[in-house]
Amino acid sequence: MTELAEGGARPLIEKTGSRRPTGLLLVAVPVLLMAWLIIWPIFNAFARTVWRPDADGDYGFNLSSYVFFFSDQYSINNLTITLWTTGMCALLLLVICLPIAIYLRFSHGRLPAYVQALAIFPMFVPSIILAYAFIRVLGPNGMVDILLNSVGLPKIRTPYLTPWGPVIGLVWDNIPLTVLILLAGLGSVSNQAIEAARDVGARRLQVFWYIILPRISNSVLVAISFAVLGIFSSFTLPYLLGPASPEMMGPFMNRTFREVNDPLNAITQAVITFCFCIAFGLFYVRSVARNQGK
Amino acid sequence: MSTLAPSRPRTDWTGIVFAALLSAAIVFPLLVVGTWAFTEVWRYPNVIPQQFGLRFWGQTLGRPDVWGSLMLSLQLSTVVTLLSAAICLPAAYAFARMDFPGRTFLFFSFLAGHAFPKFGLLIAIAAIFLQLNLIGTFWGVVLIQLVGTLLFMIWIPVAAFQSVDRRMEEAARDVGAGPFRVFWSVTLPQAGPTIAAAVLLSFVGTFYETEGAWLIGAPGIRTMPVLMISFINNQMVIQFGAVLSVMLWVPSFIALMFARRVIGGGAFARGFGA
Repeated sequence: MTELAEGGARPLIEKTGSRRPTGLLLVAVPVLLMAWLIIWPIFNAFARTVWRPDADGDYGFNLSSYVFFFSDQYSINNLTITLWTTGMCALLLLVICLPIAIYLRFSHGRLPAYVQALAIFPMFVPSIILAYAFIRVLGPNGMVDILLNSVGLPKIRTPYLTPWGPVIGLVWDNIPLTVLILLAGLGSVSNQAIEAARDVGARRLQVFWYIILPRISNSVLVAISFAVLGIFSSFTLPYLLGPASPEMMGPFMNRTFREVNDPLNAITQAVITFCFCIAFGLFYVRSVARNQGK
Repeated sequence: MSTLAPSRPRTDWTGIVFAALLSAAIVFPLLVVGTWAFTEVWRYPNVIPQQFGLRFWGQTLGRPDVWGSLMLSLQLSTVVTLLSAAICLPAAYAFARMDFPGRTFLFFSFLAGHAFPKFGLLIAIAAIFLQLNLIGTFWGVVLIQLVGTLLFMIWIPVAAFQSVDRRMEEAARDVGAGPFRVFWSVTLPQAGPTIAAAVLLSFVGTFYETEGAWLIGAPGIRTMPVLMISFINNQMVIQFGAVLSVMLWVPSFIALMFARRVIGGGAFARGFGA
């Protein structure tokens, strides 16, 4: 996946002019499919929420669905809980994954291999199974309650169906990618730089702050972008583990579209989530493209 | 578990703490689910189930909705993976080996699907499917899941085709092999394992795809994960969910074994732009 553009080493592309149309023909189907099912829906969503018929049936510029969203307290609450959940997840992911990644970068042996295997493991657990496991462990009368009870401690206040439910589930789900991205970024921190700093008496925290952090800041941003894009409009975990009200944008859009049967407002909500994530999306595309172009 | 890192005399306390915390957070919940799947009676507050057994496996597998969903999921994943391979592998070959106008732009344009919040995108697509009467149909779900496989099924095979040794292909051509013969006997065997991993990942990814199937498929199309959502929501017999979880996890485990090839080192993360 990464060897895309090492053009200097060997000629990457056969420069035979006669094959030009063949190439376009071969990529046509996936490109058209993507244009139809990704690019077109996005433009369509923008267009049909701002340019639509009014009460008399005349088409015109009309922002009323956006005005409604931002004047409706319930919608605002849902947006707020989504922003809170996303921010909290991003923060927790960094706090959990940075130490793990740094530990993995600077150790060798069987124990770090075990830690790495565990950190990547959630990637292979479908979120639906995660949701079920969460309920059995942290839910009411779950395994944690059983264990606490057996040693005579009171039950926990279960995070199931509270805003913390989706946070825990989403952090669990996103640990592998965050660790992998940070670990890849840490590859650019040389051992010599660390040793040199340690030789002149720098402490661990100083080494982290002045040597490691500046070199991996880009990876940290990529990891956060990726997590934010995934979490902001996540559906399955908030739907199964979160409270019914306020709900995150994913379940909110789902309910507006399917249960309330109101596609216009559902699309409006979708466009609003696009706008909140646009910066992260652009940053993500730029980093991948730059990385592939190296 | 060895408590000593081999190259180092002192105990790796950081590692032990991480290993213990991650085991508790990641392995423990799955063990609890595994235990529930083989439990017949487990009343609070007993730490260990009162009675183990396979009774609920029979009951779960005896449910017609479970069989229906399993068959549907397998069908969907097969159709989506075959279609995806049919359209993406030639495209990947073209991206890797041919020059055509807009090649770089088109190649990176596949990132678009990952640069937007996924469920928002699904809503936008669903609005279009609503007009086309594709909501609640098999082919509607196929389309939505097919789009989800595009990036993987193009980018991984492109890297595979590019890593094939061109000199061997040229040598084969020099001794008179035609282009298809070269592709079949030289290119494919070298790129094959990575492509197989991509195909497997897309099969497993499609099998577990929940959100598109939920939004586009309902109410007519109930895939395995969608059925599982209703099991969790309706709080039916606890063991049904546990048995399904253990069953559902098997394909994931196979993927895990295969994907170790692809997800080696930082290559995978770099694909995400780290």
